Amino acid sequence: MLISWNLLNELLEIPATLEEVVERLTLTGCEVESVDYPCERLSGVLSARIEELSPHPARKELFVATVDDGAGRELVITAAPNLSIGDVVPWGRPGTALADGTVLGVRDFDGVRSCGMLLSAEELGVPEIADEFGILKLPADTLPGEDVKRLLGLDDAVLDLSITPNRGDLLSMLGVAREVFALFPGAVWRKNPAEARPGDGASWPDDLEFRGISLEDDGCPLYCMGLVTGLKRGPSPVRIRVLLTLLGMRPISAMVDATNFAMLMLGQPTHAFDAAYLPAREITVRSARPGEEIRTLDGKDHRLESEDMLITSGGVAVAIAGVMGGENSEILDTTENVYLEAANFDALRVSRSSRRMGIPSEASYRFSRIVDARIAETTLEYIFSLLEEWGVARAGYRVLSASNLFLENRVVALTRTKLKRILLTDDIEDASAILSRLGLTEVASSEDAKSFSIPSWRPDISIEEDLIEEVGRIRGYNETLPSRLPGSLHEHGDIGRTTRLKRDIRGALISRGYVELVNYSFLSPSFVELLRLPGDDQRARPLQLANPLSAEQSMMRTTLLPGLLRSVGLAVASGWKDPVRVFELGRVFLPLEEGHEEVERVCGLAYGGRDPRLPHGPSDADDLFTLKGDIQSLAEAHGVRIEYAQGEEPFGHRGQTARLLCGGKPAGYLLRLKPSIERELDCSPLFAFELDLAPFEDPEPLRFREPDPFPPVYRDISMFVPVEVSAGEVADRIRRLGGSMLREVGLFDVYSGKGAPEGKRGLAFSLAYRLCDRTLTDEEVDSVNAAVRKGLAASGCELR
Amino acid sequence: MTSIQAELGIIERDFTEQVSAASSSEELQQVKVAFLGKKGAVTLILKKLGSLPPETRPAAGQAVNSLRDRIEAVIEDKRARLDEIESEAAERSSMVDVTLPHRGRSGGGVHPVAQLTHDVIEILAGLGFSVALGPEIEEDFYNFEALNIPQSHPARDMQDTFYFPDGSLLRTHTSPVQVRSMLRHGAPIRIVCPGRVYRRDSDPTHSPMFNQLEGLLVDRDISVADMKGCLETLMAAIFSRPLKARYRASYFPFTEPSIELDIECVECSGKNPACRICKGTGWLEVAGMGMVHPNVIRYGGIDPSIYNGFAWGIGLDRIAMLKYGLTDLRILFEGNVPYLLSGRSL
Repeated sequence: MLISWNLLNELLEIPATLEEVVERLTLTGCEVESVDYPCERLSGVLSARIEELSPHPARKELFVATVDDGAGRELVITAAPNLSIGDVVPWGRPGTALADGTVLGVRDFDGVRSCGMLLSAEELGVPEIADEFGILKLPADTLPGEDVKRLLGLDDAVLDLSITPNRGDLLSMLGVAREVFALFPGAVWRKNPAEARPGDGASWPDDLEFRGISLEDDGCPLYCMGLVTGLKRGPSPVRIRVLLTLLGMRPISAMVDATNFAMLMLGQPTHAFDAAYLPAREITVRSARPGEEIRTLDGKDHRLESEDMLITSGGVAVAIAGVMGGENSEILDTTENVYLEAANFDALRVSRSSRRMGIPSEASYRFSRIVDARIAETTLEYIFSLLEEWGVARAGYRVLSASNLFLENRVVALTRTKLKRILLTDDIEDASAILSRLGLTEVASSEDAKSFSIPSWRPDISIEEDLIEEVGRIRGYNETLPSRLPGSLHEHGDIGRTTRLKRDIRGALISRGYVELVNYSFLSPSFVELLRLPGDDQRARPLQLANPLSAEQSMMRTTLLPGLLRSVGLAVASGWKDPVRVFELGRVFLPLEEGHEEVERVCGLAYGGRDPRLPHGPSDADDLFTLKGDIQSLAEAHGVRIEYAQGEEPFGHRGQTARLLCGGKPAGYLLRLKPSIERELDCSPLFAFELDLAPFEDPEPLRFREPDPFPPVYRDISMFVPVEVSAGEVADRIRRLGGSMLREVGLFDVYSGKGAPEGKRGLAFSLAYRLCDRTLTDEEVDSVNAAVRKGLAASGCELR
Repeated sequence: MTSIQAELGIIERDFTEQVSAASSSEELQQVKVAFLGKKGAVTLILKKLGSLPPETRPAAGQAVNSLRDRIEAVIEDKRARLDEIESEAAERSSMVDVTLPHRGRSGGGVHPVAQLTHDVIEILAGLGFSVALGPEIEEDFYNFEALNIPQSHPARDMQDTFYFPDGSLLRTHTSPVQVRSMLRHGAPIRIVCPGRVYRRDSDPTHSPMFNQLEGLLVDRDISVADMKGCLETLMAAIFSRPLKARYRASYFPFTEPSIELDIECVECSGKNPACRICKGTGWLEVAGMGMVHPNVIRYGGIDPSIYNGFAWGIGLDRIAMLKYGLTDLRILFEGNVPYLLSGRSL
């Protein structure tokens, strides 16, 4: 919202500098985002009268003007064709700086010396205010020698205010002036534009008489109609054109400028219909019929829905209420008589229509934030007064209106107790003074409470806390209140199992050389193909956003792996060549028969690097078992037992994929990526794991055991077993055969290749036997160990 | 008599010569055998003692024993010196180049936002706040309605939301956890809710996903002053030094009064009018907060006439950027490995 500092000062006498006002507005909830000095470099331009004008003796496209600024006559050369003797124009003498910073001098045009320049609107920095091609003409009554920058209001400062959605009342000069009045107790109104200047109340001429206004939609509680006749073509006064331009609107014509200026001043949008083209002498406000169409004055066609509100006349749609007028009754250069609408429309309805149709107009912006219901008629009268003052039309007829408006008198109480509780002050008199400067009226008062009537332009105030906010923000939260720590609770906070677990896991993985990533929770549909997921895989049916920003971010992730693959892929594409490990801790969103669940996971990915040379040799490279070590370190640190079973995943290498189980339930995978995926990503090898955090949240409690008092006795067993028999199975078999005396089984060698029988590999285990009440004899151990060997041989192991 | 003495003298002289000539432990061992071994010179003399007249035997025996002791001591001493020389040589011959890189994996990298999240949680736990988590796919009720943002409220203009076909949505802030936690735990309550939030926004300064951290305290007789104290303590802990704070009135539908917190620019402390971080204002906007709206407390199942409190939200990504001097928001979520590794010394 742009605010003119000059205009603000015309309304209010403010006992503060611009900087103080900016600071105060910012601290009290109306943040000033910038202060712009639009024609900052312009200086030294004076008004001057053209005394003589003749063609240039040598160049026929130029004129020689004799100008007088009261301090003396000079010759100035100009190419502008729009001048006559007697015009008052902006003159830049040598030394004058233009808006773009150019400094003027004396210039010779084929023997005639031009003393500076006569200036156009563009050279003054405001091309929008030009009403014709050529030099800008100043009002005829302008005296020579005036500072044009000040005269036109180009010396203004424009404040850009960020208005919060609850403060629709600040979307006007009037609203901001009211706010500044409240902020500076010494401020005095100079001219309050809301003070109505009633017209002469004349009856409408017969030929323009109106039959009626009917309100058939609850979304329009008030509709006022005014009349303007005898409209003359032409621009609005230059000073108004400057203000409109500085405040971000384009000057168009006196009529349009008057309505726009009134909106900027009072916050009430209005709409002008050409009386000649309004289909009937009646207005009906109703809901649109689904599928109904209208062409708006920007030439675009819109299909309407029943939530849209229409202004119709004689059954024809002439405007989308609060959003934009229709092309059929738009005012034109030729318009003589104007029906002028000032109405109140429901904020939500206007906001939804304008958003759906993509028409963010100045009007819909204001209606969406609630327009003061009491300002409509005042606005029409304000526009009448402008038109009469500018002498461009006859206005001031009696305003017609229809209203379903019920304006309740809202009264809200403020108690000393709550004031004290929240703001630590019990000065309710001071609070009352603040509220009354904001336009609230004290209507009841007791020792400990006061009641206030709320003005119509503050629909945001409805409960006591709202009053406290008003008092708090005007008093300020900085100096008036201390900072202290609330002391009624003393215990240490509990960060919770999930957060603690995530903290520990990330610490462990980072120290194991993993880079932590945070990826978007979205996936592109292409991940299904990348991971070769079949249609019946739960992960291939992610939740889909109804309104994604793009297809690439249209699905909720069901696995963390694609994000990590993408990151590594991007790194490699940008020239990364070293081995790298990445991980992410985060949620996946799994579709269920009904609804979905959010599951916390950790996923790790290791890439062997484009350049596998390592200073200590290839044994340093990652493989499935280094990642298994990482998982085990997490599991052991948290007392979680993970089982690894030979398995398959659609994206896993068919010989190097493990299913992870916790307590018999699936908990994730550990695998090398399918070679075809490695080729596709041009990264090989890639190892990955993904693990549910749920088993970690409920670990077995940490327990310590008494040390064994008697030393163990060790025996080694070495054998050849068929390659399809896993080492884990053999170890389990040994454990069963060894019984309670066998305490530990450790694999220490795996051998395949030369010397191993076809289809077999060698496994060697070290077995520790021990009793807890005495030392074992060699005979006892040999006897049990022999039984183990016999059992193994019987199950097809070839003992060595 | 004298012949034994003389013999011992000769043996000792020979020994001294040979022992000093020994340059390795093997040679030293040979010397030891030559004098103290079964056929060594000293052993042979000892055997001769029996043939001496009884009255001279004690003195002769003493002299021989004394010589043997001296020889042993010299050999032990020499052995120690040779061992030291030999082990030093052995160690030097197996020297390694300590400037070689370490074996195995290089250190990993922390993500600045994840790191900050955990740091902030620890700080707030110290102030008595417990972590509360909530779903990222949220119901309209918790995300809007219960936070005093009804359908008709213009604040919904501010928050363009991702929806699912069934009407659920991706939470636009962590505030829904407030109401969920109040309903579960009642008052008094002190919680902190970290998490991902989503808005339909994407440009260089907005990401459709970002990280927020919400705090909520509801108790009896809570003032704006209590909120100021908490937030200032938090900010000082995050940036490891006290920072000037400035409070600006603002608007959020779920708090009343609503306030925004600016801290002094962590880059220039307001001293550089051309500062890129604060754009010369000297202030950085870091938190939105306020006294919880009575409607929200009521939606949380708590009686607002007995309890009141405050809530705040901070953008973890922005604070991480300020704290760690990062310049691009979106790169944080693009899994940029080289970028994240560049921060190893964090």
